Amino acid sequence: MPDSRTLIRAGGRGLVILVAAAVGVTVLGAAAIVPWPEHRAEPLSRSIQPAESRTVRVCPGPMLELGDDAESVSALGSVRLVTATEPADADVEQLTLAPPRGSEDDIAVSLATQPGGVDAGMLAGGQAQQLATETAAGFVAAACAEPVAEAWLAGGTTELGRSTLLLLANPGDVPATVDVRVHSETGPVDAPSGLGLVVQPGAQRVVSLAGLAPAAASPVVQVTSSGGTVAASLEQTSIDVLTPSGAELIGTTAPPAKRQTITGVVVQQSGGIAVDEDHAEGDAHPSLRLLATGTEPVEAAVSVVPETGGEGSVFDVVLQAGQVSDIPLGELAAGDYTVRIDGDGEFVAAARTATRVSGDELPSDFAWFPASLPLLDETLVAVPQGPGAKLHLANPSDADVEASLVAEDGEEAITVPAGAAVSTAMPASGGRVLITGGAGLQASVSFSGERQLAAFAVQPPGPLDSPILIYPR
Amino acid sequence: MSPRVTAILVVHHGGERLTRVLDAIRAQSRRPERLLIVLAQVNAETRDLAAEAAPDGLIQIEERVAFGEAVRRAEQTLPPPVDDEDAVWLLSEDTEPQPGALLALETTLETARSVAIAGPKLLDAEAPDRIASLGRSMTRFGAAVPLVSGELDQGQHDGLSDVLGVDPGGILVRRAVWRSLDGFDPALPVVDDGLDLAVRARLAGHRVSVVPSAHVRFAGGGLIGPAAGHRAGAVRKRAAATRRAALHRRMSYAPAAALPVHWLSLLPLALLRSVVLLVTKAPGRIVGEFGSAFRTLFAFGAIAHSRRILRGARTVGWSAIAPLRLQPDEMRRRRRIEAEERRARARGRVDGVDFLATGGGWVLLASVVAVVVVLFPLLTAGGVAGGGLLPLSPAVDELWRNAAYGWRDVSTGFVGAADPFQAILAVLGSLAFWSPSWAMVAVWLLALPVAALGAWFAAARLTERGALRALAAALWMFAPPLLTALADGRPGPVLAHVLLGWLLYAALGSATSWATAATASLLFAAVVASAPSLAPALLLAWIVAMCFSGRGAARLALLPIPALALAAPLIWAQLAAGNAIALFADPGLPVPAAVPGPGAIALGFDGAELGGWQGVLDAIGAPIDPRWVVAALLIPLLLAAFASIATGRYRAAAFTLAAVALGFGTAIAAAQLSVAVVGDTAVPVSTIPGQSLMWLGLVLAAVVALDGLRRAAAWLAALLVVVTAGAVVPLGVSMSTGRADVAPAAQRSLPAFVTAEADHDPRVTTLRLVPEASGGLRATLEHGSGATLDDQSTFAQTRTKLDAGELALAEIAGNLASRGGFDADRAIDEFGVSYVLLGAAGEDAERSEIQTADRARAALEANAALVPVGETDFGTLWRFAAAEPDAPAAQIPARAGAPLTGWIATVQLLVFGAVLLLSIPAGVGREEPGRRPRRPRPERPSRRRPKPRPSAVDSAEDAAGSADGAGAGPGETAQDDGAPSVAETSHSAEPGDAPASAEPGDARDGGTPPAEEPEGGRDAR
Repeated sequence: MPDSRTLIRAGGRGLVILVAAAVGVTVLGAAAIVPWPEHRAEPLSRSIQPAESRTVRVCPGPMLELGDDAESVSALGSVRLVTATEPADADVEQLTLAPPRGSEDDIAVSLATQPGGVDAGMLAGGQAQQLATETAAGFVAAACAEPVAEAWLAGGTTELGRSTLLLLANPGDVPATVDVRVHSETGPVDAPSGLGLVVQPGAQRVVSLAGLAPAAASPVVQVTSSGGTVAASLEQTSIDVLTPSGAELIGTTAPPAKRQTITGVVVQQSGGIAVDEDHAEGDAHPSLRLLATGTEPVEAAVSVVPETGGEGSVFDVVLQAGQVSDIPLGELAAGDYTVRIDGDGEFVAAARTATRVSGDELPSDFAWFPASLPLLDETLVAVPQGPGAKLHLANPSDADVEASLVAEDGEEAITVPAGAAVSTAMPASGGRVLITGGAGLQASVSFSGERQLAAFAVQPPGPLDSPILIYPR
Repeated sequence: MSPRVTAILVVHHGGERLTRVLDAIRAQSRRPERLLIVLAQVNAETRDLAAEAAPDGLIQIEERVAFGEAVRRAEQTLPPPVDDEDAVWLLSEDTEPQPGALLALETTLETARSVAIAGPKLLDAEAPDRIASLGRSMTRFGAAVPLVSGELDQGQHDGLSDVLGVDPGGILVRRAVWRSLDGFDPALPVVDDGLDLAVRARLAGHRVSVVPSAHVRFAGGGLIGPAAGHRAGAVRKRAAATRRAALHRRMSYAPAAALPVHWLSLLPLALLRSVVLLVTKAPGRIVGEFGSAFRTLFAFGAIAHSRRILRGARTVGWSAIAPLRLQPDEMRRRRRIEAEERRARARGRVDGVDFLATGGGWVLLASVVAVVVVLFPLLTAGGVAGGGLLPLSPAVDELWRNAAYGWRDVSTGFVGAADPFQAILAVLGSLAFWSPSWAMVAVWLLALPVAALGAWFAAARLTERGALRALAAALWMFAPPLLTALADGRPGPVLAHVLLGWLLYAALGSATSWATAATASLLFAAVVASAPSLAPALLLAWIVAMCFSGRGAARLALLPIPALALAAPLIWAQLAAGNAIALFADPGLPVPAAVPGPGAIALGFDGAELGGWQGVLDAIGAPIDPRWVVAALLIPLLLAAFASIATGRYRAAAFTLAAVALGFGTAIAAAQLSVAVVGDTAVPVSTIPGQSLMWLGLVLAAVVALDGLRRAAAWLAALLVVVTAGAVVPLGVSMSTGRADVAPAAQRSLPAFVTAEADHDPRVTTLRLVPEASGGLRATLEHGSGATLDDQSTFAQTRTKLDAGELALAEIAGNLASRGGFDADRAIDEFGVSYVLLGAAGEDAERSEIQTADRARAALEANAALVPVGETDFGTLWRFAAAEPDAPAAQIPARAGAPLTGWIATVQLLVFGAVLLLSIPAGVGREEPGRRPRRPRPERPSRRRPKPRPSAVDSAEDAAGSADGAGAGPGETAQDDGAPSVAETSHSAEPGDAPASAEPGDARDGGTPPAEEPEGGRDAR
């Protein structure tokens, strides 16, 4: 029988263990529950404003015509070029790029300011051209583009009677090695000849899309450049049974994203083909070109909203990865529209409309409307001389944006309501307009006249000139 | 005619001793004719006491003069000696002459006219059967040696008469000789005064004799000769006085021609002897050694005076005394005996470890097998990479340069303090000098066995059972913190874990042995350098140990000194920068990681993955929180740890559980800290070292608990190992199958194109740009074949401001990553950059990161100043068209950091050299003076433990708190410190368990050679 001392000792030990366990639990609990003060070092960085540089824009120049041997090209007439800078008195140097192989004509022009002459993006150029030849007719307009390392071009076609050329210009100092990859309605086009194209510094190169992707109804072109940067654009001319039925210069569209906005889609005449129409023949109806750039199919909701307000139409589409879809925008009343596409994956987009003079069976001109990127706070737009020039501003955000447009003839305050779009007419003689306070807006310029239809998106300057955060540790 | 004897009695303290001496003088069979009492600064009571004795003269001196000076002053009051028969008898309150002493001395002077000085046999006042001194001599080189010292007086030396010298206590000196020799040399106030006087008498043609039949009891109270005693201060003072006297005699006796040589050799000899003192574990004497050298160096007046006196009195040559010097064969014999005694003492030490007999060999074997299994991919690797690992600099001299204050070659570089960790890398890299980077492979491969052995030895301080030591080794080897650190490539935490067990082992023994204390201090420096976050916990433990260690504190005080010497420049720099908290930054390459939660920390892991359990549970589709699984596996260990309290070994239990709490607290605190910055990320301080400490506490607590079981401890230990090791199985599998971060690596971190150029241009500079998730760009410079582990600097990682170099680098990098009118060649002018390397954005990187990468790529490609080299494994590489080999801007500035580098390195090398010398276990036996028990300690009956336990176990237990080694034999434990508590807690040893150290100590006649360090503990470890 254990004596009482043993019992007391055993009890004492049990108590000690309990106390120790309680202390342990308390410590653990304190560690978990008490919000201990923290010391977290701040990462050290410095925002570096890149040294002032020459701001460069490349204007694609006059429309081209392929020669007989498909190697040579020649210019169709000349363009009316307008440039703008902020401040307005900054010197702009116009440099004609070396013409493409097999051509005698000077075609593309690069615009450049002196280093520090203007801030990033404060150089703009625009060009317009009225074509009326036997092989090409219509009104074309384009913004002079910034050379970039990667560009997406949605538009063009290489079906019968359609001709699409890819224009590549390298205004820089080092040769650019360009890979051109074409997607069509059947998926990526295997075209090794599009890879490794060298564009010499200060020169332009022209590639016929038909050579890369023959008989592609809906091409989307991805241009990537290593070495130097290039300005890329497409030009498309249409002929329907010997009758020219329009021309267009197609600038770069917004890079792949889950949300794209196309502003200022001009529909001159009411009409169109229903969205669910399976046999949407021809290219005279308003339509949308979409390409899912990822590896998964993308479900996207498309809304087509008139700028004047109102409900608009909304429909869903499914985009197969890598395959380009041309989707009719439905039957639309005449007017200007904003097209928004929201997807669950990344894609690129552009819209197309055509104009037809009443009585004519064939369209007389068409236009491609690339998707726009959100603008920075200040954007300079050069509007070339053209019929019915309009600046479209769309506000995809949830708050109204009050911007002001400074043109040569004065300043105009403009309010873009949340989720809506407005447009304002530009003088027919062209000119410059400075959008201030327009951060987040998306803009485009359209031209609309009889047998005349053209548009270009106003893109913000690339990030290459913007400040960058450097962590030197 | 009978000689007139004048007794001169020098008094300092008076009291009972004085009474006894006065009585003894009165009791002489032949009483001195005159008695002079010299009172040196005494109180009135003593004065009265002295006056009562009715001396013939009472000389009062108002200061504490040396014995020799006091005697001189008294003697001066006497009339000049009438003839040769006049003599003085030199006494002090410490010398108590036996009744026949004076008669015997006087008879000698009377019978032998040539004898000028007659010395008595000095007996130990406390143990009158022992001879305190009987004559002194010199070696051939002038070192003073006692002829007889500390021997039991059995009349064995009673035949001795002619000697070279005598100790001054109780000697009878002819006054004529005394006057002609000018008395004692004032430059020898404490030691060797008698020897010197006798030598000069000899050289003046007289004889010096000891009279063994004259007995004088000698107390050694410090009035004549140095104070006796074993206290550290007394020993140090004695050693310093002895050395000073030796040097003074050398300068006095040397031929004039040899003087400059002797003078010049003073300091070098002091240095050399300091080295020897360190090796022989007497570091306390170094100050005295140098003090003596310096004082002799400038004692021109005293030396000249001594030489003049000597010259004046000398009548015979030095060869006359040669036969009286101690002969070399006698010296050899004495040394041999001393060495034998040391060996005997060393043999007598029981360290209680018994490596092979308790299965240490099997533990080692098992750990090697574990390495082969777990680290299979690394077995044949030439380098190791991943996580925080980088190659080391290929040249050993570069490693050491990086370990010293000076140019920190990280990114843009600066002059500043090195991390203490770089010194460890330098040591490791030097050991693998043929390929320093392989040193890290060796660390990885040896981590498990070395850690296991460390824990095994630490556990050996707690238990004698082989099974439990093996338990500690296995649990420590398979600790989650260690395997996490190994798998994630964290060299600092790995080293800290590996060394922590060894540090504990050494620290537990450091209170009793200088060698162990020095080893512990080196390990402490290594642990703190590897894991600065452990410093507060370890310092706290050190302070507690200091408080409990009593006289061992002197040795324990050494613990943080090397660490402090190593870290002082960095500490100074961070304090000056007002960023003291940055001292806790993990050294080496900072690795951004998620901050672990308290749950994960408590379970020993440093992330929510819990060492791969998350993945395992995901793979088998079990929807269980991995924390529950790991907790279930660790519960047995936790229970065992808490059960340690119930064993009754409260100190051990409290110590181990306190370590658990301290470790956990350290880890939690570390999780709240982020001090280093990489790119746009703050790097949290690693929690692993704290968790290692926590785990160490758990393991040892479990050992204590199981040690309390009488049965089944081995089975429980085996079960505990199996269950607990289960927690790290996923980590082990991931490492052995090569899926962990850490992997064999080629020894480079830059493209081969750059490293090839680095072969002939070692400073070739690469600007490395890495896109960050925040949309920024990280820009760093790398020189030669890339950043190395020894280049890293926590000071650079934790600075709170960007310095001028970094700002310039940001400017250049920002512009290179932009289109602009920037003159790219500024990168060459300012930093000598030859290459630009743009890292690719990760697979699933943020959009902003990809955009930044694209932007930078586009800008670099469009830059005409850059020539593309191509895609590499490390990113896209460009070369500056205008790059120049050996670019001047890329070179390390000449004499960067000078002269501070030299000064700091000298101090650090001195400290480490001294500690290293101290850590050489050559002092075994020297350190342990055989002290006799001073006060017997009542034997306590063993309270609980039926089984006798070897002393090491108990002493470890006590040493846990107080390292002044407890348990020892009954004869030895009686100490004047800490004895009660020792008796209380140690399961007091049975008589039979007395460590053998007691025996040789007692057996060798209790003699303490003066060269020995008497402080400290007894039982050896």
